[in-house]
Amino acid sequence: MADVPDTIVLKRDRDLEGRRNDIWVRRGLMSLVAVVPVVALFNVFGQRPDSTTLVSPEASLKIYAPSHLRGGLIFQARFHVTARAEIKDAYLVLGPGWAEGMTINTIEPSPVSEASNNGRISLELGHIPAGQSYILFTDFQVNPTNVAFGRRQTVWLTDGKTRLITYEREINVYP
Amino acid sequence: MDLVIRAIALFAFMYLLTRVMGRRELSSLEPFDLILLIVLGDSIQQGLTQDDYSVTGAVIAVGTIAVLQVIVSYSSFRFRWARSFLNGDPIVLVQDGEVIKRNLKRERITHEELAEQARGQQIAKLEDVQWAVFEPSGSISFIPKQ
Repeated sequence: MADVPDTIVLKRDRDLEGRRNDIWVRRGLMSLVAVVPVVALFNVFGQRPDSTTLVSPEASLKIYAPSHLRGGLIFQARFHVTARAEIKDAYLVLGPGWAEGMTINTIEPSPVSEASNNGRISLELGHIPAGQSYILFTDFQVNPTNVAFGRRQTVWLTDGKTRLITYEREINVYP
Repeated sequence: MDLVIRAIALFAFMYLLTRVMGRRELSSLEPFDLILLIVLGDSIQQGLTQDDYSVTGAVIAVGTIAVLQVIVSYSSFRFRWARSFLNGDPIVLVQDGEVIKRNLKRERITHEELAEQARGQQIAKLEDVQWAVFEPSGSISFIPKQ
């Protein structure tokens, strides 16, 4: 047999002794890498919005917003209030989780007033006659350094001080 | 702080990718590979610096990557086990004109590709090859028979 090239060890580099399992480690790791985009297809990492509708005798509230986000994403949350009975002075109250680590780009239409309600963001929508709808569009951007798992985003719909609907939701923000 | 962590995470991920994808995919630089490299770099950059346009941010990111690269390079130089892990070991593909099919299959190299690489080094027939070694860099070295 001709001289073996320098630094080549036949048992290791030709017969692959002690290296037989390397290929399976490599394949396993590659499979793990491949799992990420596959899981992403199922909206695990956002940002497809989900829709939830809550109904009370006085009103219904449909929330259309993503619950899985990533740093830097721009997204919209839509609050669709339908008055089943007259709501004299509707308020949409958002828990602090809605603004935590988020930039609020716009709220359309602009609420009649904005205030803090015991640390929550209280948006006064005004009078909604029975059978009428009010759609509030809010546009956010996730701050790039914002990371959250299971952060609560509570929403209350009230008529004056009377609670009509309470909705508890959670968001995950991936880095 | 976040920037350093992001740089470490992305460096580790990219290093892992280059190791698990296999050397075949990384050794050639055809037009599509070049485009892929640019797209990859752009995607990484956005995740790395995000909305940070500052010189400080750039210095932190580049500095972190440079330090990590030196650590990897030094570990590979200093420790044999680290070299195998970080760079991989060579694989003999041809010995005395005999193609070692098991090793070709392992690295997803066809007989035709091997012959093509040999022709690139002025070797017309694989039977004239004494040794062909698939190097950790992804290139194939041919040593012709004397």
